[in-house]
Amino acid sequence: MPSKTLDRVMDALDLETFLVCSNAEEGKNLILSLMQELGFQDVDVVFIQHEGPGVRVRARAYVHRSGDKYGWLGVDDHVKEVNHG
Amino acid sequence: MGKRVLLAPLDPVHDIGLKMIKRGLDEAQHETILLPPDLPPEEIVREIVDKKVDTVLLSRTLGYGVAEVLAKFVDLADAAGVREKVTLGIGGMAIRPELAAELGFDAGFGPGTTVEQAVAFVEGRELSTEGVQVKKTKQDMTAGYSYQYRHSNIGSLLEVISKMILAWVENKTSPGVERAKVRDELWDINRWLNRQENKEFMAEYPKLCGEIPRKYYETGELHPKTRRFTPEEVKGLERYLEDVKARMSVQKLQHTRKKPIVFNQYGTGCPYLDIGHVQVSEAWGADGVVHFDPSWGARTEGFLDGFLTHQEDGTVITPANLNRIHGALQESTLWQVRAHRGLNTPETVVLAGKIGADLTKINFCYGALGAGTDPERLLVDAYHSMKYAIKYNMPFDVVTNEELCGVPAYKAFAGMLIVADLAVRLGAKPILQPLFCYSPEVMISGQMEDNYIDFNAAKIFALRSIVDAPIWPGAPIGFLTHSEDRVQSSMTTALHACLASALEVDAISIASSDEAYSGGPISVPSKIDTLRATMEGFRFFGQAGIAPTKKAEEWSQDIVAGIEKVLQEVLQTGDFVQAIYAGLLGSREEGAYPGRAGRGTVTTI
Repeated sequence: MPSKTLDRVMDALDLETFLVCSNAEEGKNLILSLMQELGFQDVDVVFIQHEGPGVRVRARAYVHRSGDKYGWLGVDDHVKEVNHG
Repeated sequence: MGKRVLLAPLDPVHDIGLKMIKRGLDEAQHETILLPPDLPPEEIVREIVDKKVDTVLLSRTLGYGVAEVLAKFVDLADAAGVREKVTLGIGGMAIRPELAAELGFDAGFGPGTTVEQAVAFVEGRELSTEGVQVKKTKQDMTAGYSYQYRHSNIGSLLEVISKMILAWVENKTSPGVERAKVRDELWDINRWLNRQENKEFMAEYPKLCGEIPRKYYETGELHPKTRRFTPEEVKGLERYLEDVKARMSVQKLQHTRKKPIVFNQYGTGCPYLDIGHVQVSEAWGADGVVHFDPSWGARTEGFLDGFLTHQEDGTVITPANLNRIHGALQESTLWQVRAHRGLNTPETVVLAGKIGADLTKINFCYGALGAGTDPERLLVDAYHSMKYAIKYNMPFDVVTNEELCGVPAYKAFAGMLIVADLAVRLGAKPILQPLFCYSPEVMISGQMEDNYIDFNAAKIFALRSIVDAPIWPGAPIGFLTHSEDRVQSSMTTALHACLASALEVDAISIASSDEAYSGGPISVPSKIDTLRATMEGFRFFGQAGIAPTKKAEEWSQDIVAGIEKVLQEVLQTGDFVQAIYAGLLGSREEGAYPGRAGRGTVTTI
């Protein structure tokens, strides 16, 4: 998901909401689908709680995991290769 | 027959969950072997072989490399020939049931697994959820209170003021009172529920209404911000309600305490969203909900009818809207329909009572000073409202939100006690509702420079030293301590809730974590935030207390002295309405302005 704005996310982007659904499993599938519809690939569910009408959920998309090349450093791959070379 | 169970953490240190499960298994007469943390998988597998166990329960808290560790364990168990001989379960913070199943475990238990569930797994039975579902019952927070005065002079002053009000009000009426009478006497709810006409009611009611409702009854024209639901939307709601009813569950917030009852306000403008919000509040532990009407509704003579949605804050009071919301509530949920301040106060009480509300809200002082209704009109209307509250068996809170305008607590409390005294003399059950918040008064005077405990505690101490009556701080608790940040906002709500709990008040009204956000309606996740925070706060403190400093007692005495002085001044005026105009219960300088809506509409019978 190439985006200059996402480059500024230090590590992860969390999306929190409430989804109407029958159980936690359905809620988890829904939120993961939503994250993928939004264009995120490296996604997980940090927290989910189902009660009655639906789930309170916190989904996460990692933009930069440890060891990645951090977009917010403003260093493009070419420069990094030169520096590391 | 007891099982032989091996419990082993696949972690360097974490084995608390397994120890708790071990205790549960021991109590259930199973034989348990708990291995220490940080053993290599090979060693755990060797123990399985040597000890000839029936079941293995592993735990894994660390998320890093969890899939690899689990896969390796299963491979080793296979290679040692024990995988098919034992039941293999794994649980812990890092475990997702689907991952465990994919890797060949018999069960995977994620965060939140109970000891009871783990024991059920070992015993090879389905865990019944019957026993763990929370069952709630409706509570009457006024039960057990005598309304006797502990402060005899204040009691005596209030008695004379009540007699003065009763003498003034007894031969007066208003359009609001007349509409309430028609609603009470001519509107047959059973006919209405059966979609039959209420001809006598319809012949009288529109004549008593202001322009907006009258136009509606004459031409069908609605208020511009409202619209009717379509039949498809109504069917959709009915399907939704049926689905949710089948899976509804509720939580209990108070941990080991019985009090305080926790209320959440709703009033999105749309009864559908309200129902959604109410059910989420109930599911996350709210014991009661408060119906919040639009501000224009309080300045309009009469109610509309029909199943209507509204584009702004506050849900339009109509019989159909109230009835749909009431029908969606859990049996245990206390339902308050507030009536305290507008031109429809007595009729709101009648309508709420007929439809099945448990509580209402009446305060002719706040309603006249902080919310825009003419004092004379509201006094007449509130008097009749109290009588209807008695008829329909609805206790009501006497809110003191004029403090938010800048009125000092002792003046607001004097007004609250005047309302409460009159109510008790009529036979009603008022509930005192002090603000539990960072009010303008304390911002100016500095009583909360050090902490938020002392002045709030002082209010409760003061009220308790005056009268034996139920207390329900609000509304909402923590007002003006909230910011737009949900962590901060949830935390300050929870802390105020815990203080209220420690002071053993009867109920509280809590905000949502977006209370301070002004860009749109409250959202459901924000409601859950404060309910969860409150639950955790109650769990943290349990039966333990919070100790105010000696300032609380000093300020309590100041409040009581201030109330006594105000009551004497009110009495000296000889006319309660004039006392309000004179600012004795909140002056213009303090931010309280006598309202104008309904001015000149009181008539003598």
